Amino acid sequence: MKRIYLNLITTIAVIGSANADRLVIKGSDTLGAKLVPQLAEQFKAQNPGTTFDIAAEGSTTGIAAIIDGTAQIGMSSRRAKSSEVGAAAAKGINMKPTVVAYDGIAVIVNANNPVKSLTKKQVEQIFAGDITDWSAVGGSGSKVSIYTRNTSSGTYSDFKELAMKKRDYAGGSQKMAGNEQIAAEVGKNPAGIGYVGIAYTKAGGVKVVSIDGATPSIQSVQNHSYPYWRPTFYYTNGEPSGIAKTFLDFTLSAAGQKIVNQVGFVPIK
Amino acid sequence: MFKRFIYLITAASFILGGVAARAQDAGALLDLLVRKKIITDQEAEEVRAELTKQTAETSAGKLKLSTPITELEIYGDARLRYEYRGGRTADNTSQPNDWQERERERYRLRIGLRGTLADDWFFGVRLETSQTNRSTNVTFGDDTSTTSGTTTTFNGPFAKNSDGINVGQAYLGYKGFRDITLTGGKMPNPLITTLMLWDADINPEGGAEQWKHTFTLNFGQSGVAQAEQSYSKDNKALAISEPASEPWTLKIDVFANLAQFVYDDVNPENPVGKRGTTDGRLKPQTDAWLMAWQVGARFNFPKNYYFQVAPVLYNYTGNGDTFNSHFVGGDPSLSNSDSLATNQVGINSLLVLEVPSEFGFKIGELPVRIFGDFAVNFEADDRARAAGFPDKGDQRYAFMIGAGIGQLKAKHDWQIQAWYQHTDQYAVDPNLVDSDIWDSRVNMHGVAVQGGYALSDAIIFNLTYGYAWRVDKGLGTGGTGDIGINPLDKYQIFQADLNVRF
Repeated sequence: MKRIYLNLITTIAVIGSANADRLVIKGSDTLGAKLVPQLAEQFKAQNPGTTFDIAAEGSTTGIAAIIDGTAQIGMSSRRAKSSEVGAAAAKGINMKPTVVAYDGIAVIVNANNPVKSLTKKQVEQIFAGDITDWSAVGGSGSKVSIYTRNTSSGTYSDFKELAMKKRDYAGGSQKMAGNEQIAAEVGKNPAGIGYVGIAYTKAGGVKVVSIDGATPSIQSVQNHSYPYWRPTFYYTNGEPSGIAKTFLDFTLSAAGQKIVNQVGFVPIK
Repeated sequence: MFKRFIYLITAASFILGGVAARAQDAGALLDLLVRKKIITDQEAEEVRAELTKQTAETSAGKLKLSTPITELEIYGDARLRYEYRGGRTADNTSQPNDWQERERERYRLRIGLRGTLADDWFFGVRLETSQTNRSTNVTFGDDTSTTSGTTTTFNGPFAKNSDGINVGQAYLGYKGFRDITLTGGKMPNPLITTLMLWDADINPEGGAEQWKHTFTLNFGQSGVAQAEQSYSKDNKALAISEPASEPWTLKIDVFANLAQFVYDDVNPENPVGKRGTTDGRLKPQTDAWLMAWQVGARFNFPKNYYFQVAPVLYNYTGNGDTFNSHFVGGDPSLSNSDSLATNQVGINSLLVLEVPSEFGFKIGELPVRIFGDFAVNFEADDRARAAGFPDKGDQRYAFMIGAGIGQLKAKHDWQIQAWYQHTDQYAVDPNLVDSDIWDSRVNMHGVAVQGGYALSDAIIFNLTYGYAWRVDKGLGTGGTGDIGINPLDKYQIFQADLNVRF
């Protein structure tokens, strides 16, 4: 009988140990498509036995996962909304944000488009549908095709807030699942315009337009002189602990921030 | 330690003011501190998250507004009323000089939401007690029983059968064009008018286009010059260029209000099979519309003097299926019940010009206003002929003149106003005139006095008294009122109101 108890305790300890090395991360596509998987690979190299479960389906899903307790880290490219924080508080969840990187949201057009720069007002007018033809902003006379992220994306709402005074997107705008799809569509469409995270500006067939004379760069985002920048977050339930804390510390370390830089985001320092 | 200090300062600014407004202020303050490199982004985010959590846990934080709403106002009023009204029969009836009197204790509630939306749109919704178009009152104890056909249902005392909530206003509008407001729906009356033609409780349905522009004229030493004026959609920030010297300034608000109200919807417009008839007449197939064209101006002179005049022309088109019978308005030669049964609501032969006007100034701090209205129906001859009184086509005029002093804006404010009002039988639409003065009737003239006192900024006590006589003894007093007498030879009303406005 005593042996059975010992076996049972040993088995539970093993399972517990295995769970402690499994990190569930959900949320932002901006973070989850490239940055966090590469951080995870590097982290696994340094911490053998750690497994990752990464689901990048939009910031909303990351914050919801923290509230539901289905992830240890919620990736988000936007701040948690008051309603989300309220819902979390009602469940005793303390939504703690940690800034892990900056992202500049770049406005991209087709590489063959003669337009090189836009004002903030023109960007607002284009994406809200007030300007419908490229000739209004110095381009060739063709109808503007607008590409945006889908509504579950943090970038979708962030861009509205940063660039559009919270106005609605133009009725004919096409919603894409991710940054890569937007870049691909704009690259194929001479009249296309869209926005992507700074990590995706090197896609083929597109070019970045400057906004009020500023282009997204490490320096312009770090000193906040480029208008369309945003912090990106890991959300945790209170102070992180265990493997989540270890991974968060790694993300903020010099090695982690080097990866941040390598995948096109802007390091926080 | 430093982070806690920042948090305390930010939280204090947050707590000492309105929650939502201070949360925004805190965000701006945090951004500034980050830009000044006094705190890091991470520290700012932690403070921001804590503030967001606090906001989310307050009552205001739990109230969520959809993103397109940029401003929202809850407003309304509640009123308790005692009312006496009575009407006297004519002296040549079977029951001569007999008063029918009614005393009622009543209440009303109106609660509304109005707001602005992104991209220059706006909206409004108001819920009101009472289904009646010209009243929002509910009479205490009037619903103890309900009769349907020959069946009477006893509802008991304090029943709720008449305590319904109805949609009084539901409208949507656009202010994106300079000086222009477009509105559609069931809306507050967009026309400048008086009780002589429009009951204040009526919220007409349809569309309205309003234009208003302010011209500023400076009469200085160098003659007349128009000041440069900037455009402001909310009319709050009109920047007027400074003149070289102190000129005599005249500001003129020029406006135009156009309205297309759906007066009576016919159903169906195109029936299956042959078009039916009623009393040998083909059933109508078009909606009845009330069209209004108003142009006017308000002249704002120095030292708080102003004069406003706003002529408006009303025309009725189409048929509808409720008001397309010829108006009669009662007949003194008939018994009272037969006279009441004649058509009181027909809108035939109405082409009415109304000219409301007002002159105002101040005596010390007290505003004084002299107001008046004049209306004439250009088709009164036809209306009288159709009513069976071809020699009464001259009964085409309505007019009022009165004066008021004081205002009811803040605690201890008071106001008194009195006026004389005269309405001929065929002058105006009896379906729109005020239901209190004179009991929704035309062919009446009389005097009314109103006095009010503000017990607090929100509580107003009002008294109203009116007395009226029949204008033309050879005609009935058209319209459907609360007094079951036609012709109404004399009429009086007294109301004592306690209003709460919010």
